[in-house]
Amino acid sequence: MHLAWGPEEEAFRAELVAFIAEYAPPEALVQRDFAGMGEPGEGTEIVPEWARRWQAILFDHGWMIPAYPPELGGRNATPIQTLVFLEELASRGILRSLHFPGYAIVAPSLLEFGNEEQKKLAPAAIRGDTIWCIGMSEPNAGSDLAGLQTRADLRDDHFVVNGQKVWTSYATIAQKCFCYVRTDPDAPKHRGISVLLIDVDTPGIDVRPLRHINGMAGFAEVFFTDVVVPRENLVGALNDGWRITQGSLAHERGGLWVEGVARLEHGVEGLITLARHFGRDGDPVVRREIAQMYSRAASLRALGYKGFTSFAQGSSAPEHSYMKLATSETGKRLYELGMEMQGAYGPVVDDERGYEDGRWIRSFFTSFANTIAGGSSEIQRNIIAQRVLGLPRS
Amino acid sequence: MDFSLTDDQELLRDTARNILARECPASLVRAHIDDPTVAEPLWSRLREYCGLGSGPAVDLCLFVEATGYVAAPGPFFATVALFAPILEAAESDLLEKVLAGEVSGTVAMAGLDGLWAANREPRKTFVPEADRVDRVVVVNSGPTVTVAERLPARLVRTVDHSRRLFDVETAAAVADAQAIAPDALDRAVQRATIALSAELVGTCRRLFDMSLSYAKERVQFDRPIGSFQAIQHKLADMALDLERAWAAVYYAAMALDAGDDERARATHVAKATAGEAARRIGKDAAQIHGGIGYTWEHDLHLFLRRAFASEAWLGNTDWHHDRLADLIV
Ligand SMILES: Cc1cc2nc3c(=O)[nH]c(=O)nc-3n(C[C@H](O)[C@H](O)[C@H](O)COP(=O)(O)OP(=O)(O)OC[C@H]3O[C@@H](n4cnc5c(N)ncnc54)[C@H](O)[C@@H]3O)c2cc1C
Repeated sequence: MHLAWGPEEEAFRAELVAFIAEYAPPEALVQRDFAGMGEPGEGTEIVPEWARRWQAILFDHGWMIPAYPPELGGRNATPIQTLVFLEELASRGILRSLHFPGYAIVAPSLLEFGNEEQKKLAPAAIRGDTIWCIGMSEPNAGSDLAGLQTRADLRDDHFVVNGQKVWTSYATIAQKCFCYVRTDPDAPKHRGISVLLIDVDTPGIDVRPLRHINGMAGFAEVFFTDVVVPRENLVGALNDGWRITQGSLAHERGGLWVEGVARLEHGVEGLITLARHFGRDGDPVVRREIAQMYSRAASLRALGYKGFTSFAQGSSAPEHSYMKLATSETGKRLYELGMEMQGAYGPVVDDERGYEDGRWIRSFFTSFANTIAGGSSEIQRNIIAQRVLGLPRS
Repeated sequence: MDFSLTDDQELLRDTARNILARECPASLVRAHIDDPTVAEPLWSRLREYCGLGSGPAVDLCLFVEATGYVAAPGPFFATVALFAPILEAAESDLLEKVLAGEVSGTVAMAGLDGLWAANREPRKTFVPEADRVDRVVVVNSGPTVTVAERLPARLVRTVDHSRRLFDVETAAAVADAQAIAPDALDRAVQRATIALSAELVGTCRRLFDMSLSYAKERVQFDRPIGSFQAIQHKLADMALDLERAWAAVYYAAMALDAGDDERARATHVAKATAGEAARRIGKDAAQIHGGIGYTWEHDLHLFLRRAFASEAWLGNTDWHHDRLADLIV
């Protein structure tokens, strides 16, 4: 056990820091309390121009996904180097991209499960040249994803798709959808699912935007009516899509904890500033609560590294579920605390009268997404109980 | 930050677990309630590990996590985690014999308020195992230390029979007080606090393991209670608290070993996080066991007692959060 990284990792970090100093646009350097999950850029644009350019620059310099080879926007980095990369970006609050599905879920899934033609779509997904959305959830299939009902009927050389997706982030701006469909309605529910790559401008697709609870543009409903999808757009084998859900969920969870923890730490610093601003920093209750939040963040950082240690040694680590559960729940409490500390001003988002533009109440509302999306807190607890602790299914 | 154990550390951890599983069954902890001398064979066996009183805090933690798992009674913790670090901080010649397992000892430092800060009070409190160790080191403000042979001690009864705490009258032991560097004293107290946190994590793991296996065995409504979501979610939250506390403790140990600036904050985080885990796991362990867990006959209470007493000792959770606040707010 040791605290510090070796000289090689630090040299790697130095290279990254030099790159950031030279290339990162000022907009990317703004610490955000929350990210991913439909967090829009400035204004109403979901992915503003600066973010598209920044993602391409990262790719071209091998800093988008360092573990990948250069043609996929990386530099063949080791797992520890990747961690150094994530921690350095997270501690500076820098986001690589404002649309995570393409680089974080679709590309890894295509590289793992796709055929040679489909693998060729990966670089553009990682570089952000193609914007992807993920069609998993439906009105009747959320936590119980395997219950999805959107039908895809195979007719000779094409599928015909009918049904509806919902909460589809980025659908309003995406070119392509990584879409889970039911291809065998008679099979047990986990066995009749397949994945299709669908162009969002195909006739018969209707995307209706939905605003988020925080008022910002974000996800959408997507309706499919007799949408024709070429057979070669099937990923992996027919009816073998459930395997891909397991893969893509794992990709999504991979490095998220680093950002999650950095956001908590940034939040704790914000709480301290807030307490001083409102003259609450001498209040013993407030002081203790801030210290509790600090402890949570610090212990979660340690737990994340512990999980990473087993992951880097090749064993699968249950820490993912722990980290997802704990960072999302702690975040919610942290922003709530910031809101509470402002007394009557907690809910004020008024430009003139509000503190920090209503950052705390807004972040509080936005943090609700984190305990729902990507497997709710209840689902995480089920996973821990059943897969990690080996308790019987209910 | 690398949490992997070296081969030697894995061996140390496994050895500790094996020895303690064999030498310290729950029946010993129970017998010790009425007769503290029953812990003597265990102490003879643990003497050879007193070398852990110096050297990496990580190694010490790996060992005392195992003593916490079995709620080990006796002078081992007081000797390796409190006495030896203070002697080392004071550059005492006695240290060598202590590390060799020839001399046991304890520390008298806290005043009436129970806080481990140097003070002038002649009566020290919460001194572990003061009646059965070879030496007592008294810490007074200055700070200074004095090593004494025997001092008048009175048992202060707590719910925990596995660690006996005493009031000690130190007036007779001020004669050749020797100055000690405040930094070195801080470090020694940090080391003890981190070690106690590791021990507490061990006790929490025992409570957790007992609850998990009971949830798998106990059948109600024709199925194991562990299939009920209310029980599953309790266990998932307990597991999270436990893993988080483990990580916080070893992070603190690494920070201390590296002499890192983070170590004071990390020590507070470790004890507070272990303390929070103890409270949740303790309460939910009792809940999951139902009526059987409320009996004197069932072993659960032996570990509950140790857990709640350890949570309070060397600064409870709230106290550590408040000191942490002093450093960050
Ligand atoms: C901001 C945001 C972005 C999203 N983006 C996408 C996207 O891009 N693509 C996509 O496909 N989906 C997306 N989702 C959808 C997300 O994956 C689902 O919301 C999530 O899986 C939960 O499903 P649900 O909303 O139907 O809730 P439900 O599954 O109906 O859950 C409702 C409540 O019941 C609880 N519950 C459900 N099952 C159990 C159980 N077995 N045990 C205990 N409690 C249970 C849940 O925890 C929750 O509290 C997004 C969601 C949000 C909030």
